[in-house]
Amino acid sequence: MSTREIFDGRLEAALLLAPTAIVSLVFLYYPTALAFRTSFFDSGFGRVPEFVGLENYASLLGNPEYHSSVLLSVIFAAIVVVGVISVSLYLTFLIHEVDAGQGWYLISVIWPYALPPAVGALVFLFIFHPTLGVLTGPIEALGIELDWFNDGPQAFVVVALAAIWKQIGYNVIFMIAAMKNIPDALTETAELDGVGRLRRLVSVYVPIMTPTLFFLVIIDTIYAFFGTFAFVDLLTSGGPSNATNVLIFDLYREAFSFFNFGTASAKSVVLFLVVAALMAVQFRLTEEYSYYGA
Amino acid sequence: MTGAIQYAKRRFESARAAIGAETGSETPESTTDLGAAGIHFQLWLLAGLVLFPILVTVVVSTKQQGIVTSLPDLLPGTYAVENYREAIVDYGFGRFMWNSLLMSVVIVVGKLVVSVLAAMAIVYYRVPYKDLVFLFVLFTLLLPVPVRFVPLFQLMNDLGWSNSLLAITVPYIASATTVFILRQHFLSIPTSIVETAKLDGVGPVKFTLQVLVPMSRGVLVGVSIIMFVYAWNQYLWPLVIIDSEANQVAQVGLQLLQGDVQGGQLSWSLVMAGSVLTLLPPLALMILFRKPLLETFAIQQK
Repeated sequence: MSTREIFDGRLEAALLLAPTAIVSLVFLYYPTALAFRTSFFDSGFGRVPEFVGLENYASLLGNPEYHSSVLLSVIFAAIVVVGVISVSLYLTFLIHEVDAGQGWYLISVIWPYALPPAVGALVFLFIFHPTLGVLTGPIEALGIELDWFNDGPQAFVVVALAAIWKQIGYNVIFMIAAMKNIPDALTETAELDGVGRLRRLVSVYVPIMTPTLFFLVIIDTIYAFFGTFAFVDLLTSGGPSNATNVLIFDLYREAFSFFNFGTASAKSVVLFLVVAALMAVQFRLTEEYSYYGA
Repeated sequence: MTGAIQYAKRRFESARAAIGAETGSETPESTTDLGAAGIHFQLWLLAGLVLFPILVTVVVSTKQQGIVTSLPDLLPGTYAVENYREAIVDYGFGRFMWNSLLMSVVIVVGKLVVSVLAAMAIVYYRVPYKDLVFLFVLFTLLLPVPVRFVPLFQLMNDLGWSNSLLAITVPYIASATTVFILRQHFLSIPTSIVETAKLDGVGPVKFTLQVLVPMSRGVLVGVSIIMFVYAWNQYLWPLVIIDSEANQVAQVGLQLLQGDVQGGQLSWSLVMAGSVLTLLPPLALMILFRKPLLETFAIQQK
């Protein structure tokens, strides 16, 4: 067991760990602690911080705009996660089943992993542009008036579509690995039993892939909450009338448009609790389902 | 010549016999064949949808105005050189790309060195409270940029680092993900090799350079690509901490273009040229090194 531990020097080990430890303490742990501390103060540019206890949290609890931002983020995350997982799963299945050209198909759907969100946002701004967009004509031909610069729900859909598009690549990367790990014998047995393709995906593959799917649900949820800032900033700036004002954008505005560092810190703490809860769920599920994989 | 024809004939006949046998006895085979065509069709359609936005981007970046109001307008233009030159020179993308490259390379090299050292200590040294040390590193997964960018902004101001390369690189150097992947990989190197090294009296430096690094090439390349894509695509933190155009990165450079095009001072073809430029480095690296990248992802999930 411990045969890998071939070196003894404690000082050496400490020196090896020092860079990671110092950077973690100074730029990760300390700012987080500061966020907790500042959340108990009334603080901003050119103001002397004043201790206000739980007042920042109390004002968040009583703020209907913040409530709607929380609700909006949860709905947004749910739509993005369900969208990404289902599209990626189906695409992965098709690539798994195809008889030729697998490598090419794979590359043509996993490339958005490398896509910068800022680029994705500008591309969507262009192709769905209400007056100039390439897709505007075809969509309006279907009888939908495209007006998402003014129409909240439409803006929400455009941001969600862009966010889903970007995340497909990452999901297919993990799903194809998991699907390729499924023993051929299972597939053959299912085929002999006359199980159709789609039922084979749903009743045979999905249960076996559960650990990977749980992992991706958590990663995608974190992405939907935190990784979609550029989409919101460049596509809608949280508007129209807060229809796309998700938590991360709301936090950014609180800090760098309104300069309320106290309230912004309280909002950071809330975000931290969201990440912590998601990670805890992931940890529990990984423990519970670990016997499936490996 | 005649031999070839006869060979082809024989192949044809045996193929026909095979088809006849299949359609005669087993009908499910033919439905699978139909299914295969259907799968190709669906894949073309869906992969086409995934590719469509970026194909539009590339095409528009070659046009004069970038006004594309219908699908037939999607033919490439002749203004590619002009547009890219203007984006790089007049709109500062040469500068932005250079800054992004500098930031990404510093982060990749820094993270790689620092994480190899940490994983080395965690796997190959007798360290007290080792699990606790590893937990201390892993716990930082809970602290992504959005959780701490407000106090980090103030910290950078206090350090006098705002607007500098230091501000957009140093906070990224510690990496739970990289340490985790390297640790998993080191643990998969057979103990017999490690023990042999010990019996040979190999020191830590020699061990790292002659055993660890050669046995980890694929993983080191894989994590480097993951880190590069992550660093290059950072948007929120540079937006907050860099406020001079000379030090700005490509992602935020795009935001400047977006402001101009929405205000009507800029053609869309130029915005799309900037977008293609910003997409190119991470995309090229991903495609070139897809094999080690996919293998490294496989380690991450374990």
